[in-house]
Amino acid sequence: MRSLVALAVTAAFTASFAAYGQDKPKPPPAWHQGKGAKMAESKLAPHAGKMTETAVGEIPIDKLKLPRGFKAELWASGLPGGRAMAASEDGKKLYVGTRIIGRVYEVTDEGSKRSVRVLVDKLTQPAGVAMNKGNLYVFAIDKVLRYDNVASNPSAQPVDMTKAFDLPPEQHHNWKYIAFGPDGKLYVPFGSPCNICEPPTKEYGQIRRYNADGSGKEVIATGVRNSVGFDWHPKTKELWFTDHGRDWAGDNGPQDELNRITKTGLNFGFPYCHANGIADPDIKKADACKGVTRPVALMGPHAAAMGIKWYTGKMFPAEYQNTAFIVRKGSWNRTKPMGFDVVNVRVDGEGKASIKPFATGFQQGADGYNFWGRPAYLQQMPDGAMLLSDEQTGAIYRISYAAPKAAKK
Amino acid sequence: MLSLRRGRWVLLPAALFISTAFSQDKLQLCVSCHGPGGNSVSALIPSIAGQPKLFMENQLVLFREGIRKSPVMTPLMAGVSDKEIVALSEHFSKQPAKVVSSGPADPSLMRKGAQLAKKLRCGVCHLSDFSGQKQMPRLAGQREDYLGSEMLAYRASQRPDTTMTAALYGVKDDEIKALAHFLSRSAPR
Repeated sequence: MRSLVALAVTAAFTASFAAYGQDKPKPPPAWHQGKGAKMAESKLAPHAGKMTETAVGEIPIDKLKLPRGFKAELWASGLPGGRAMAASEDGKKLYVGTRIIGRVYEVTDEGSKRSVRVLVDKLTQPAGVAMNKGNLYVFAIDKVLRYDNVASNPSAQPVDMTKAFDLPPEQHHNWKYIAFGPDGKLYVPFGSPCNICEPPTKEYGQIRRYNADGSGKEVIATGVRNSVGFDWHPKTKELWFTDHGRDWAGDNGPQDELNRITKTGLNFGFPYCHANGIADPDIKKADACKGVTRPVALMGPHAAAMGIKWYTGKMFPAEYQNTAFIVRKGSWNRTKPMGFDVVNVRVDGEGKASIKPFATGFQQGADGYNFWGRPAYLQQMPDGAMLLSDEQTGAIYRISYAAPKAAKK
Repeated sequence: MLSLRRGRWVLLPAALFISTAFSQDKLQLCVSCHGPGGNSVSALIPSIAGQPKLFMENQLVLFREGIRKSPVMTPLMAGVSDKEIVALSEHFSKQPAKVVSSGPADPSLMRKGAQLAKKLRCGVCHLSDFSGQKQMPRLAGQREDYLGSEMLAYRASQRPDTTMTAALYGVKDDEIKALAHFLSRSAPR
């Protein structure tokens, strides 16, 4: 009997080997690449995402801390994995991309409440969403879809635009953030498919822009490791983007970056040069930082700086006008937690940036990982309030401001 | 204060309800393939007893969404709610896991597998006793044939997670055989 079972197991096993065939040669796209001997026994690993709905009662929004006068409320929930957002012009419809769960959600604002439906599913990490003249663009790793007049046409069938955009095959760091610029062009990052490596081909580690129909492809920046957030300065119209620093090079760096594109063709250093001129310890080159554009600000080691939004609304106090809010989803490749917050970044006349905490409380305690939420992106609404997405709870919070009443005398 | 205490009593039946938020039919359906208590006795079908709850939730959602491809699991999961997925995952995460590989241990494969598991640092994520945690499955005591076929699928980029594909990059067929042999005979916690 035992030998029979063993035979069956062997047969099944052999069959499965035959089914999958031989290993295809592939570059190793890996979050654990560059993990040196010193880190061999490290227990650090990316945090687990959550793919099921989180009940309203399990979202402790009262733990969020904001400056005086600001208030956070639960605006929508039941969007597992929801991250980047794109709103219709009137703010009544919000489209939300995800990664692994493969969905794009549509949230409809019904005044006192919001309803959520799945617009499209079964895509490969459809993280990028953007609106252009009423048309919704969805960027998965291997697919581009356009939904025309989506807000007014709930059964809009997508136009498949994949061919026009020339997407490279590697998945790692190639989930997207996308946005239309003031020039009407669509900006798309192509991350480096590794933690640290010389990318396998020249299609990676860059930011491109296209015409809305996918024509006119232009590489505007290189040496980018993994940018998943950008926005244009309201006055200068320059593009500012966040970029994640590499892992496994220690708790304290290299830090995430906030960069500014003053002209096209700039090189931001990856993989040879990081942050404020740190030569990479693994991928070496003479004069590693020569000709590399330095960041405007350092956003913290492993902090995972994601969405950035220059505030132009009328609701928040005047001091926030034309300052940037940046969401830091929070570290994993660090002994102690870093990020898990929204910061406010102000840049003075000489281009020096100061960074102040704005929304905190997602992570409890400074020593170990004990977080309930992972903030990801911001969306400024027509009334000037800001929506903040939380990828962990699949919820969206609304941050509003009302001048505090003067203290009683 | 009194009302707060009353509130607790109101919550208690709610908790009982959540723990059985799946039908007995559904449970029977699971164990009809995955074995009594979730310990599999069928070739290439995994044991789900004692698997981390989050790992189970994630995989069941991915099957339902068709992101993790399975002609068997995807139709079975159609229309199953998040709530049922959470409840089923919780149920099986609490079932005692058993070693289900029945063949005798081959000392040289065991040695080779143990060395490889150390070299590849499987224990960093799956824990040193391979009992799994959070989104990462229990490997200890899992079916040998299933471990082998899954590692091959990961290595061939046929799973929706690039982490394991990277971890298995360049690992040879005979090494995967040794790993499966060793891990399937490691005692689950």
